[in-house]
Amino acid sequence: MDWNESRDLLWLAAILYGIGLVSGISLVSKNNKLVSSLLPLGIIIAGFVAQTQGLAIRGELVKGCPLGNGMERIQFILWSLVVGYLIIRVLFRLNLLGSFAAGAACIGGAISLSIPSLDFAYWKKDGYDGIFPNHWVELHASVAIFSYGIFGLLATVSVMYLIQQKALLAKRPGSLAPFLPSIQQLETAGSRLLLIGSVFLTCSIVVGSLDWTRPTGSVSYAKVVATIALWLAYCSLWYLHFRQKLFGQKFAKICIILFAVAILSLGVVRSAVTNDSPPTPQSPSSDVN
Amino acid sequence: MSTEEPKLFLLGSSHRVASLNERELISLPADRVDSFYQGLRALPGMEECLLLNTCNRTEIYGTGNGSSPLLEVRDYLSDFRQLEADFLDRHFYQHEGEAVVRHAFEVASGIDSQMVGETEILGQVKEAYEDALRRKSAGKMLNRMFQKSFQAAKWARTHTGISRGQVNLGNVICELTRRIFGDVSSSRLLIVGSGEVAELAMVAFHSRDCREITVTGRTFENARYLAEKVSGSTLDFESFRKSLHLFDVVVTSTAGNDPVLSRETIRSALSKRPARPLFLIDVAVPRDIDESVSELENVYLYNMDDVSAIANENLKSRMAEVDRCRGALAHRAIRLWEQMINQPSPPS
Repeated sequence: MDWNESRDLLWLAAILYGIGLVSGISLVSKNNKLVSSLLPLGIIIAGFVAQTQGLAIRGELVKGCPLGNGMERIQFILWSLVVGYLIIRVLFRLNLLGSFAAGAACIGGAISLSIPSLDFAYWKKDGYDGIFPNHWVELHASVAIFSYGIFGLLATVSVMYLIQQKALLAKRPGSLAPFLPSIQQLETAGSRLLLIGSVFLTCSIVVGSLDWTRPTGSVSYAKVVATIALWLAYCSLWYLHFRQKLFGQKFAKICIILFAVAILSLGVVRSAVTNDSPPTPQSPSSDVN
Repeated sequence: MSTEEPKLFLLGSSHRVASLNERELISLPADRVDSFYQGLRALPGMEECLLLNTCNRTEIYGTGNGSSPLLEVRDYLSDFRQLEADFLDRHFYQHEGEAVVRHAFEVASGIDSQMVGETEILGQVKEAYEDALRRKSAGKMLNRMFQKSFQAAKWARTHTGISRGQVNLGNVICELTRRIFGDVSSSRLLIVGSGEVAELAMVAFHSRDCREITVTGRTFENARYLAEKVSGSTLDFESFRKSLHLFDVVVTSTAGNDPVLSRETIRSALSKRPARPLFLIDVAVPRDIDESVSELENVYLYNMDDVSAIANENLKSRMAEVDRCRGALAHRAIRLWEQMINQPSPPS
């Protein structure tokens, strides 16, 4: 298994997502709905296949769900974000959501791959025997990161909301806003995504709590606090939105801020405690086979 | 292979050369179209003919057998509509050959329309063409030209920005509603007062299947008259503020001097629908809605200037595309004309 091969595939995915973004936005004003919706979708799916393959190769290399370093976690979140988009696309259509999701996956993917220190070779440590101590921890970590992907999609929808609202308040036709979904549709989509993400995060915490009952020291205190705080924040947000106490612009902004906090907290919530060795920066071009 | 150049001609009048009053004199009443066609087809040298008769243009397209019967058509129209020769000179244009193809392309694509890029004209051209086909007055030449003009129109709308953005004030309001609520048909519209823009908005909503249209006004009879136009309902002017929370879009257009909707009234309505936006369009002068309402969350307040500015900006962007579109259509027209001269027409 080639470490470079997985990185190449992840780069390819980022490039394809970028093309998906550009083609989606440039084709949106065309009257040919079939071309303007299917072509970017095809490119995004191609990017998704490349990313899945890249993560699968990495998974075989690290003997588990690849969530051992910053690059892998970001890639897995972006992968979940695209999965979320592809599922949601079947349930309800939101114009340009694919392009925005592809844009987020392109930028996030490129950043994660461009910083060598994010992709340290933790599996090269002596006595390394898989990334997770057991399958429950692996399930907990992957479901948690998947929920982050859904929250990433929620942040994307929130950005679209703010663009649409800004254009409406500016009282100008705008070049992109007329093609975006209505603010009402974006708010509804945001509400659903928040619920889905919260459910996944709750499931992850339930599964993870089984592991936390293990002897002291197996899980860091900071991780427990950060995870519970984030979960509480998202659940409170959902409750306030459900009770119509928090909505519109404030809701969208908080969704974006919370996602940023979630990403920043990733440094704290490294799931594989036993594998949290200090990063060993490695050149992306070096082969670790 | 045909070597003789086809005698394609056009005689017409439109908003470009005739005012509304003049177009009324030229336009053919629907009940006289049959007799007009009969006389037209009987003209010496006439091979094919097609009449395009809309509120903005009256055009006769045709081909001649041997020579162009343009002069005969002109005399016939003059007799039929009792128009002086001098009037025809001033308010009609005539083209022959490739210029006819180019003109047909421009008309079908909407760049020759009064409201550049409007799409209604394509439907009208198609209707005129189908009518000519039914009468068997359109043959190989006109068939080919109009079929190609439909393709050219589709190309123009797809590849240029001539139809981008709404330019009618009612449609602009509908487009903004779509960007706020998504589905115009399920939005609830309240018209307060009367006036041209309010009526335009009402008609635009009705044409998009909005069935919840309510009208209120100081003069109840006027409100009822307006509501009946779209099978809408009426609301008592004194109490409509209490029901404001039931509406998504409110267009105010009263003639009074005092604001009809204060900040407090809107705040009270919003408290009953906190998470649902409220779209207010104040087209009255002086204004009907307290300007500070725009500071409230989830309120989108537009006035007459805002709506007009969007319509004008859209129109400007359409106009910027006209030259590009015209150039591309001219290329297509030349190509088709060369084919018509050099190649035998496909079977009609």
